[in-house]
Amino acid sequence: MSARRKPLLATDRAALILQLVPYLIGKGEVSLTEAAEEFDVTVEQMRTMVEKLTVIGLPGDGGFWQMANDLFDIDWDLLDQQDLIVITNTVGLERTPRLTAPEAAALLAGLRVAASLPGVGDSGVIQGLLAKLARGASGVPADVIVASGEVDDVRLTVDRALRDGVAVAFTYQAPDAAPTTRTVDPVKVHLAGGQWYLQGWCHLRQAMRTFHLDRVSDVHLTDIVSTHGDDSVPALFEGASRDVEVVVRYRASAAPLLADYVVIDDPADAGAAVRSARVRVGDARSLKRVAAKLGGDLEIVGPDAARHAAAAWAEAGLAQYA
Amino acid sequence: MPTETSRSAPEERLVNLVVALMATEQGLTKDTILSSVAGYREQGSAGASKDALEKMFERDKENLRSLGIPVETIGDYADPDDLREARYRIPTAEYELPADIEFTPAELAVLNLAGGVWSESSMSADARSGLRKIRALGIDVDAPIIGYSPRVNLREPAFAPMQRAIEQGRVVEFSYLKAGEESARVRRVQPYALIEYEARWHVYGFDLIQGDVRTFLLSRIVSDVAITRTTFDLALREGAGERALTGLAELAARQQALLEIAPGTEAALRLTRRATPADQGIRVPYVDVHIFADELASYGPEVRVVEPGELRDQVIARLERTLRVHGTGAGERS
Repeated sequence: MSARRKPLLATDRAALILQLVPYLIGKGEVSLTEAAEEFDVTVEQMRTMVEKLTVIGLPGDGGFWQMANDLFDIDWDLLDQQDLIVITNTVGLERTPRLTAPEAAALLAGLRVAASLPGVGDSGVIQGLLAKLARGASGVPADVIVASGEVDDVRLTVDRALRDGVAVAFTYQAPDAAPTTRTVDPVKVHLAGGQWYLQGWCHLRQAMRTFHLDRVSDVHLTDIVSTHGDDSVPALFEGASRDVEVVVRYRASAAPLLADYVVIDDPADAGAAVRSARVRVGDARSLKRVAAKLGGDLEIVGPDAARHAAAAWAEAGLAQYA
Repeated sequence: MPTETSRSAPEERLVNLVVALMATEQGLTKDTILSSVAGYREQGSAGASKDALEKMFERDKENLRSLGIPVETIGDYADPDDLREARYRIPTAEYELPADIEFTPAELAVLNLAGGVWSESSMSADARSGLRKIRALGIDVDAPIIGYSPRVNLREPAFAPMQRAIEQGRVVEFSYLKAGEESARVRRVQPYALIEYEARWHVYGFDLIQGDVRTFLLSRIVSDVAITRTTFDLALREGAGERALTGLAELAARQQALLEIAPGTEAALRLTRRATPADQGIRVPYVDVHIFADELASYGPEVRVVEPGELRDQVIARLERTLRVHGTGAGERS
């Protein structure tokens, strides 16, 4: 929560106050904590916002100060003694403002992503929402489109298993390993960077595992009732085995391509064009694929086995064209 | 923490201005606003010059408009350019979320999922703010849609200024480093739409120097994006996102690589999904020869490019550089 709090400009704070009034009216009575949570601000910032509200109101007539009725007001006793907000007088702003063009764009593009999920896209809800959001926006939002791939049999079967609460069985081809047959209680499907992953309880490994759906084949539903469907799952990629450290040098321009890895930069190289770093991986030799992809923009320094694996990988690739 | 000074915070002045402009049907003149709306009034009596107050009012109006708040100017009918007697107001109907827009509990559950797709970025803040406005309507929500966690990455700094330029219909300028070229070139573009295609963000628009529509990868923009004062007809944006997607799909259909793959490998797994069988190997469509060459190089000996020659050369070049950097493959073979 706190990580996403950025310093607010006066205009942002004004926008929050405009949203706060209809929210407080809708709530009737709400705690400072709950309101702060809803508005992504600290409890103290929320208190200040509510206090500021009480000096806002209609223009004074002919230069005189406003009458009390011309200002917003709150129940001060409740705020001071119980940290509760109740608005007792309003002078406008009762209705929610329209969505701004960027707000509408963010939700519209998100809806198109949601529409690509089995069971969401075909429910008929999306089309109605697209129209409502466009009508509720104050300006024409910029066209922001996320292209989605097609939903195949693997995705549909996993979706069925999630909904029916049964385990799903499939053949799994992990990178550089022999295929295995898995039975999995599905918990969550992740869509990240255009790739689909299934997190679930693996009956073979007796643990929570993440499966890349492109590596899944021969999928079918079982009649085994899923017993781990409500388990909590770690964040995607968290907890995967990352026991081996490989030392690399890479061009700063290649940094975005390493985003999926745990990269510990040498602080001495901050801002340098070529950086040294340690990368944590499950298998030191798996980095050969990354090295070849980056075509010389990343050098594996050590251990030797990892460095040699990258050289051998490139050499074997080149041998096909000799 | 209430402040003791008479000078109120700028956000108070901004909200006071909104309240005042919404409470009036016929509009308020600038003089009335500066002398009666709290925030201006105190600064006026504390000795701020009329000129300073007027400038403050102009800035405030612009800031409110940037929040999507419709500040209307009613000028002199005889001479619309004469703003001396202009009146200002905010029409309630254009400010408020239309009362007839309602959301069902099921729709709100889908919206919550949709708003949660953005990784940390301007889009995630905008989505949260939009959801907050809709939630303030006090609608019940269905149980959250569990089982899915869709996520869209957005790290490109060029995205936010590009989005603003599209909204405002302004020409942008930026330096663009085309893959395979040594130096960046300045582009002048009317931006129409932003598209994520194959997990990469693109901007689609009209390149004013090339005189044609173009699609640019945001990650190859190497300068800040400058939003110029030159505007373009907003109608040009209509349907642009769909046009861009169609264009990319047609490009992929035209560009087909002929590949030979080793069965049972990573390459076979990843490429076969996108491929059509051919007499000798498989055909795989691609959009960008450099990006596809990156991917194919990662497969090492698992794939051989038969054609086109350009793709083949690109893959060979990457493998040669990789080999050069890592010495020869003496010792272990993987």
